Amino acid sequence: MAIEERDSHTGYLTTGHEWNGIKELNTPVPKAVYVFLIATVVFTVAYIVLMPAIPLGVTFTKGLLGLDDRREVTRAVEDAAAERAVWTKRIETGSYQDVAADPALMRSVRQTGRTLFTDNCAVCHGTDAKGGHGYPSLVSGSPLWGSDADSIAETIRVGINATHPKTRVGQMLAFGRDGILQRADVDNVLDYVLTLSGQPPVRKATPEQLAAGKATFAAQCVSCHGEDGKGKADLGAPDLTDRHWIYGGDAQSILTTIWNGRQGHMPSWEDRLSPVDRKILTLYLMDLRKSP
Amino acid sequence: MIGQLTKNERQNALAILIAMAVGGLVMTIGGRNSLLGVHGGLVLMIAVVGIFAMTATLKLPDPAEDRLNAYYDDPTKVGIIISMVWAVAGLFVGDWIAWLLVFPDLTFDAAWASFGRLRPVHTSGVIFGFGGNALIATSFYVVQRTCRARLPDQVTPWFVLFGYNLFCVIAATGYLMGVTQSKEYAEPEWYADLWLVVVWVVYFLLYLRTLSRRKEPHIYVANWYYMAFILVVAVLHIVNNLAVPVSFGSEKAYSAFSGVQDAMTQWWYGHNAVAFFLTAGFLGMLYYYLPVRAGRPIYSYRMSIISFWGITFFYMWAGSHHLHYTALPQWVQTLGMTFSVMLLVPSWASAGNALMTLNGAWDKVRDDATLRFMFVAAVFYGLSTFEGSFMAIRAVNSLSHYTDWTVGHVHAGALGWVAMITFGAIYASVPWLWKQDRMYSAKLVEVHFWLAVAGTLIYVFAMWNSGIIQGLMWRTYNDSGTLAYSFIESLVAMRPYYIARAIGGLLFLLGALVGCYNIWMTIRMAPRESAKADRPEPGAAGAPVLQPGE
Amino acid sequence: MFGLHYRLERKAIGLVLAIIGVSSIGGLVEIAPLFTIHQTVEDAPNMRVYTPLEVAGRNIYIREGCYACHSQMIRTLRDEVERYGPYSLAVESKYDHPMLWGSKRTGPDIARLGGKYSDAWHVAHLINPRDVVKESIMPGYPWLARTSLASEDLGLHLKALRRVGVPYTDEMIEHASNDAYGQSAPDSSAAEGVTKRYGEATNVRAFDGNAGRLTEMDALVAYLQILGRLTDAATKPVASAEK
Ligand code: HEC
Ligand code: HEC
Ligand code: HEC
Ligand code: HEM
Ligand code: HEM
Ligand SMILES: [Ca+2]
Ligand SMILES: [Ca+2]
Ligand SMILES: [Cu+2]
Repeated sequence: MAIEERDSHTGYLTTGHEWNGIKELNTPVPKAVYVFLIATVVFTVAYIVLMPAIPLGVTFTKGLLGLDDRREVTRAVEDAAAERAVWTKRIETGSYQDVAADPALMRSVRQTGRTLFTDNCAVCHGTDAKGGHGYPSLVSGSPLWGSDADSIAETIRVGINATHPKTRVGQMLAFGRDGILQRADVDNVLDYVLTLSGQPPVRKATPEQLAAGKATFAAQCVSCHGEDGKGKADLGAPDLTDRHWIYGGDAQSILTTIWNGRQGHMPSWEDRLSPVDRKILTLYLMDLRKSP
Repeated sequence: MIGQLTKNERQNALAILIAMAVGGLVMTIGGRNSLLGVHGGLVLMIAVVGIFAMTATLKLPDPAEDRLNAYYDDPTKVGIIISMVWAVAGLFVGDWIAWLLVFPDLTFDAAWASFGRLRPVHTSGVIFGFGGNALIATSFYVVQRTCRARLPDQVTPWFVLFGYNLFCVIAATGYLMGVTQSKEYAEPEWYADLWLVVVWVVYFLLYLRTLSRRKEPHIYVANWYYMAFILVVAVLHIVNNLAVPVSFGSEKAYSAFSGVQDAMTQWWYGHNAVAFFLTAGFLGMLYYYLPVRAGRPIYSYRMSIISFWGITFFYMWAGSHHLHYTALPQWVQTLGMTFSVMLLVPSWASAGNALMTLNGAWDKVRDDATLRFMFVAAVFYGLSTFEGSFMAIRAVNSLSHYTDWTVGHVHAGALGWVAMITFGAIYASVPWLWKQDRMYSAKLVEVHFWLAVAGTLIYVFAMWNSGIIQGLMWRTYNDSGTLAYSFIESLVAMRPYYIARAIGGLLFLLGALVGCYNIWMTIRMAPRESAKADRPEPGAAGAPVLQPGE
Repeated sequence: MFGLHYRLERKAIGLVLAIIGVSSIGGLVEIAPLFTIHQTVEDAPNMRVYTPLEVAGRNIYIREGCYACHSQMIRTLRDEVERYGPYSLAVESKYDHPMLWGSKRTGPDIARLGGKYSDAWHVAHLINPRDVVKESIMPGYPWLARTSLASEDLGLHLKALRRVGVPYTDEMIEHASNDAYGQSAPDSSAAEGVTKRYGEATNVRAFDGNAGRLTEMDALVAYLQILGRLTDAATKPVASAEK
């Protein structure tokens, strides 16, 4: 019943149907479509035979090649580690001095350390490791827990005030908030602390007030920050005489520090970074410190 | 609009609105302590406005019987306008979030204005708001013409159109308030999902009823696609959204599936939302508007069959290509990859069928920007499906996944294919619907076309670049055998491309605004003289006219 | 074949049934076996469930759309394992209704974030990311620290989660709101119950730095700090990978 007609442009017949003026040509499917279809089906069949593919109730076909992503990636990571061993072995076994003296090794340390540091540490210590409010600079000032490589490596391993069982613990007490010192004492010691780093006191402190501040410092603070205020590496107490501050060196910040106390939290990296990676980071930081 | 409804139909509409008001009230009261209540209030408010509008018209006389001799196009007209409104809104938000990635502080400290909340407003706004309304509107138009049958009644299409838009509004306002279940393209919460099921079932029945009234013995290809779109989306939607609400007074629900099963269900849904919403539906559109506008017969009926069933079968296997190398068992990834590769054949067969249909009409493609929109759409359809099949190959996906390359692919499909075919269809149908000879300004269609093409190309090239650079930076090793770049370095490298993308998006948005103006002016043009006598029918001369119901 | 179709396309219902039939196959073959093949989800006998506070935090993570930029799925690829840690296992998201694997990494993967940074850092970062990472393009979420957490109905949340398969006990459900408070107020009497019910290793801390007030920030940070730590099933293979 359908009336077929021939399309003058292509020469093909129509199907004879018409929907609101739309007609269809009954053009045979071009060969290319079949070729293409067969090619993709062949590819599919081959791939399915070779790889894990078909579910069978409680299991699935494993494929002739016996490949498995999880095994593959584990192998890839191991192979890569083995390939890197040419230099990582030497870092693992060598002393810090020896590695630092080896330009080729240090090149790898710098390359690797930069990415490791930026992916893991930079959010706190800054891309340039110069720190930020609440996070110490790792390239200037005297390190809280000692400046030798082993101390730094240990800090990275266990963290500070972290969840690691051997974590370093450092706490600056809340002298004001916890009522250890009266407001007047705090003001006095604040002025004294400012003078330690050669800054002018906040107010025109009288010599008596400064002396009182010094006395309070001697009574309350030296146990951690030392006689001269230069800090104690075994307690993680910072040097108050240099111009490097974690929480800011202006009067307001120092007042807040003394009043509320501080307890910075540096995570432990033992579970997250391998020993080599941590050693690389230590070397990287020692190196940054040398050439800021 | 309402004037066309019979008294009876107006009463039915009123009953539906009252039921809706009651529903809104129940939600408001039940959810008074949660965001569900806010949505209840919204529903109530909309229903009350509707009730007032409807009661005011109850006394109007019944419309003339001769309305039954013509197709029922009012819902299509309204649907097209709503679609353009969503287009502007969705594209605007898209461009806004594009700028947010350049200037992250543009959030005014407000929760609703942050990237994570606005992003689904964009995706739902363009896909469901713009795309969905265009699909519903054109499906009403197409099914009537290709069946030579009027829609079976005058209330159901409005219910579908407005009910669907209520869903869209609940979805978008929900995201702004933080109501989302986080499943991409299925973000709305349980109550919106339930509502959509109701609307969708009615839509399906409406379609089926119209098909069964047809006076053509054969069902035209466009309707196969529209049917597949309606049916499969229903299945996907219901399965992927299975969830247990915290309580009937809470907006929050917990997905029935978890972990790996949830991931597979979600991407079975997600990928086929692409397939049956963004592809099948719009192929339906293409199969009607392109041959009519070109005045050419479809190149090959047999290719239509091959591609339709190929798409319907293969697509449903491909979802796992969104989960390559993840914790999804590898055997599923194998199936997802291989079926995605086979999928290219029917996809290209469709694109080829469309392009070959233009043979004999290339002069029109050159001169007519509306047809050129459809031509470019078919080209981008071919391009993005090729790209998709390519990205589905595991080795390629290991690079492209998680990067802007995916976003580039999405927008090659979304801007180049979905939006272009829609603009083409809208420019074709607006003069037909409003009984004009042509659009208000052919020049402005031309301007829109070039803005859209330029915007798309800038967007897609920017994202290809950024995506590939990003993917490479993440996996580049230095000569010590360790990772060469940190994540942050890759982020910094993205900035120029993000700026380019935002500019491309702006051009695309400008084009849509030009289109709105043009459509508005077309509607306002004096109806053509012969309009009343003449059927508002498309170019194809000698098209059979609707006959009075038998 | 074309002849058959010629007849099929004249029957609306036939077409409908054919579409449903043809389109159902793929999903059935790929999804159903995920429930029956045992290897799909690994065993992790010691895995714990999310605490109520972490559930609340997870819901905030969903609400704010963090998943739009962050993945929680480390793929089995060398560079991902070397950058982010051991590849993710299916079991790790066993209690995730829905999963939050993500599809885009505008920000880094955070599947193994728990314990990587301090609470204080998270708070500062969430309030304004550019205060701590100047290159960041992540939005700030300052209101989280200002907004009290709605914790009264957490019991209902746990109950709903139990209905979809998470093994919460009656006791956990009953004490949900209290536990949420206790987990962020280590010195309060409510803290003890949290470790009793969820294990000694549970983080009980004033996550937002203020134990006196339970905020959305507490919840979100508590959630971020547990990412990748519900079970150690995944860290075992990597120990061998590193050697
Ligand atoms: C969550 C933030 C954070 C991250 C991430 C972080 N740190 Fe720290 N780090 C700190 C804080 C805070 C301190 C100081 C603790 C204190 O104030 O007592 C610190 C201190 C240090 C110190 C001691 C500094 C000194 O002056 O003694 C070293 C060394 C260090 N970090 C290295 C690293 C390395 C290497 C990484 C990455 C693997 C890293 N940090 C990641 C927060 C962090
Ligand atoms: C219990 C040991 C201890 C005592 C006592 C103590 N401090 Fe501290 N102090 C610390 C530690 C540890 C830090 C580093 C805290 C951190 O980084 O989180 C610190 C940090 C500081 C800082 C901040 C330094 C910076 O770089 O921002 C100042 C200022 C300070 N202390 C002053 C004082 C004063 C003044 C007193 C006495 C009133 C005092 N401290 C007593 C341990 C102590
Ligand atoms: C616009 C995208 C975007 C959104 C939305 C977003 N983030 Fe981020 N996020 C980033 C980017 C980019 C980074 C990397 C820079 C930085 O550290 O800020 C990041 C980093 C992070 C980090 C540090 C991860 C690491 O290992 O260094 C955490 C934690 C985080 N985001 C949590 C969240 C949470 C929680 C939310 C939602 C409340 C969120 N993000 C929303 C983009 C985003
Ligand atoms: C003005 C034009 C547009 C602009 C500027 C734009 C911008 C954006 C941006 C910035 C994103 C987020 C990408 C990311 O997270 O990194 C996005 C995502 C998305 N957009 Fe658009 N968009 C536009 C038009 C459209 C259109 C027309 C559609 C669909 C019809 C669309 C569909 C999507 C989808 C599906 C996503 C999610 C992609 C994914 O998750 O991978 N967009 N868009
Ligand atoms: C043969 C056809 C296609 C195939 C095989 C295909 C394949 C893919 C692949 C492999 C991805 C990336 C998944 C990932 O790595 O996360 C993807 C993403 C996507 N594609 Fe396609 N694609 C096809 C056609 C299309 C078309 C025509 C569109 C129309 C707009 C489209 C829209 C999308 C969207 C929106 C996403 C993003 C999903 C997400 O949110 O992550 N695709 N597609
Ligand atoms: Ca996505
Ligand atoms: Ca708190
Ligand atoms: Cu897909």
